[in-house]
Amino acid sequence: MVRRSGGPGVKNVLLLEDLPETRAWLKALVLQVFPDSHIFEAARVHGALELVASMKVDLALIDLGLPDGSGVDVVAAIREAHPQAQSVVVTIHDDDDHLFPALQAGAFGYLLKEQAPELIAEQLKRMAQGEPPLSPSIARRVISHFASQTQPQERPQNMPHVALTDRENEVLLRVAKGFTLPEIGVQLCLSRHTIADYVKQIYRKLNVSSRAEAALEAQRLGLFRR
Amino acid sequence: MRARLLNVVLAHGARALCLAAIAALILTAALAAVGERASASVLTIDSAQVVGEGADAHDRAAEPTLSLPDDWAMTRPRFDGLVQYRVRFDRPPDAGTDDLLVLYVERVCSNLEVDLNQQRLFSGGRMSEPVAINCRHPQLITLPAGLLQPQGNVLDIRVTGHALQHVASREFAAGLSALRIGPRSALAGEHAMRMFWNVTWLQLTAVMLAVAGVLMLVVAGYNPREVYFGYFGAMCIVWALLSLRLWLPQMPWVHAVTEYAFCIGLATMVALGVQFLLSYAGLRSRAIETALIVQWLLVPLTLILGGEGRLFAVATIWYVLFCAELIVAAGLYLGFTQRERNQDYWPMAGVLGASALLVLIELGSQHDLYPWLSRVLPWPMLPILLPLPFLIVAVRLFVLFARALRTAESGRSALARRVRELTTEFEGNFSQLAELRVEQVTEKERKRIAADLHDDLGAKLLTIVHTSESERISTLAREALEDMRLSVKGLIGKPMRLADALADWRAETVARLSQSNVEVDWLSPIEETEHLLPSRGFVQTTRIVRESVSNIIKHSGATRCSVRCRVSDGYFAMTIQDNGHGIPMELDGKLDRGLGMSNMKRRAKQMRGQCLVQSGPGYGTVIALTVPL
Repeated sequence: MVRRSGGPGVKNVLLLEDLPETRAWLKALVLQVFPDSHIFEAARVHGALELVASMKVDLALIDLGLPDGSGVDVVAAIREAHPQAQSVVVTIHDDDDHLFPALQAGAFGYLLKEQAPELIAEQLKRMAQGEPPLSPSIARRVISHFASQTQPQERPQNMPHVALTDRENEVLLRVAKGFTLPEIGVQLCLSRHTIADYVKQIYRKLNVSSRAEAALEAQRLGLFRR
Repeated sequence: MRARLLNVVLAHGARALCLAAIAALILTAALAAVGERASASVLTIDSAQVVGEGADAHDRAAEPTLSLPDDWAMTRPRFDGLVQYRVRFDRPPDAGTDDLLVLYVERVCSNLEVDLNQQRLFSGGRMSEPVAINCRHPQLITLPAGLLQPQGNVLDIRVTGHALQHVASREFAAGLSALRIGPRSALAGEHAMRMFWNVTWLQLTAVMLAVAGVLMLVVAGYNPREVYFGYFGAMCIVWALLSLRLWLPQMPWVHAVTEYAFCIGLATMVALGVQFLLSYAGLRSRAIETALIVQWLLVPLTLILGGEGRLFAVATIWYVLFCAELIVAAGLYLGFTQRERNQDYWPMAGVLGASALLVLIELGSQHDLYPWLSRVLPWPMLPILLPLPFLIVAVRLFVLFARALRTAESGRSALARRVRELTTEFEGNFSQLAELRVEQVTEKERKRIAADLHDDLGAKLLTIVHTSESERISTLAREALEDMRLSVKGLIGKPMRLADALADWRAETVARLSQSNVEVDWLSPIEETEHLLPSRGFVQTTRIVRESVSNIIKHSGATRCSVRCRVSDGYFAMTIQDNGHGIPMELDGKLDRGLGMSNMKRRAKQMRGQCLVQSGPGYGTVIALTVPL
């Protein structure tokens, strides 16, 4: 099943952030949460991609808006090269227009930069333990993503059909209505860990289904060109 | 419109013309029959004594009696010159004295002089070269009562003419028809009738064709692509020129010139006709054009080389050739129309077939191949009928032209309509595009402002948040950052479903209060509402809710909080109540908490709603927000 990776598994951390001050306190924060980890810093997409290609990554904190591109590309590269690694978006944007593409590319959660360090540390720890956050607006985006996916006439034979289970859907719907994860756990008589597993599965399926969609789109463009 | 009218007029004109011609022929035949019956008192003289031939006509001894009509080609082949006929007659007994007696000569060629009892009575024109040519003109000569004797009147008729060999067509070969003497009333009608068909009808059609020809040349001049109009028009005009001798019996030159000119005219007509048919069918060929020009030059050359004596023979060879050429051209044309313009095929096939038949009959009758024909028909029909195909083709061409004009006109108006439509469409599209462009530019600019805010202001605030030593300052900076983000959302956000907004507020409120160990009781029974909240309204309400929650966490000391939401009568209402110790009177209106309260009220007012804060020691604080939807 899903490996519930905890703090001890985190060795190599990639930190992608262009502002030196922010990078500095993020580094301090990571060292505080995972004292044994090695931190590899990058200020540009280019440098981050080089790091991704040359080393094993366990955890990555990735800023989205960078001078030479978008952190989403780095998220996708990590998802490709290190499927077990966790990419966390660290951003000043809390709107889902910015976050959703990163989640589709394989990010596992997000942190808002301005939050208090203790809060960020807490959330980071939870994410590393396999408890990613899920806001109502992200949940709504995920629901509409899968709703558009279930139209079968669009899907070719070779494309994997990724569907959410009933329970995953239930969790997602409740999040979208504004219930917090602990509340949902109480409502569905599920443990905190089980709920977290559902959320993780939702993130994974979002990624798999988005990749299939991207491949289909590329194929369609290819057909078009021919 | 105009073109359609012209079309109709022309089509009706052609039909009317044909009908008129047919009616006139029938009428003529009927009148001729009546004339036969009424001719009881008419003396027909069908024999005459030839008293002299040649220039010395008066000196020669009398010759034996000849039967009339006297066709010189039979009785005196190759003879050119003057023959004097003498006829003796008695005054018809039953001829009334109140009516003039006339001599009616149905055909005399080329010219005649008449003496009655040695008195010169009539002359048709010059008797020596250039001879007056009256071959088609019937003659009606009044016999004055004063010169007439009851018996033994002597009529001397001097006829001058040319041998068949010296003319280009048989109708101009010399001869004299039977003579008829009778009262004017009995013969004038027949004379007029023959005059009409032999001369006037041809003059009439010649004028019509000349006019049509000029019109066609004009059309061709303005439409160089429709060159066949030009050929046909020229052909019509040449036809009209060939019939010029009906108007001018007395040419200023010897008759041989006229005959040559006639042959050359015919050659011209044939060349034009062939060119017309070929160009009409789109089959023009440089080789054929050259051949036609060469033929046109060869015609007079061969005629001259053949000599005056073989004019008729050589001309006949050419006529046969012309016929063959025209028939081949007509065949080519019909073959083409059958393939390409089927609607033209049958009318043109009819007209061309009839013309070919007429031409062949005419050619045959030149050689007297069908003597029975002249017995069946009261007089030569062929020259009468021949112009008709021309007129029909002319009318047809005009009809086609008018139709093409109409098609072009309707095509042009359709085009104009299409252009108008396209212009309107284009203008519509353009304004749409312009609107879209404005929207896009606005959107882009908003996004740029938002990005700038995030990148510059956001980064600075973030630095303050994480570097400030003072907790208070970093909290303020954090709140400023949140405000900034909300502002940006208000700047670029889209309208939001109220249900989604409620979910967001609920999630945030519950998460924050739970973290501060405040129990939350959130009741919003309007989850399924489809109301939309403008993004600014969402932002302002978010700030109010956030501020209320902050107050509860920071200042109230509450352990429970209940939130109630409802929608009614176009209003959205939200009540946040805690069980804290309320707002101390001395703090109301002061410090950041008081400022927070007034900010909440101001924000509600901006949305044209209201925010009421009720507080009292012991029963906590109630914030009642009402916002119009």
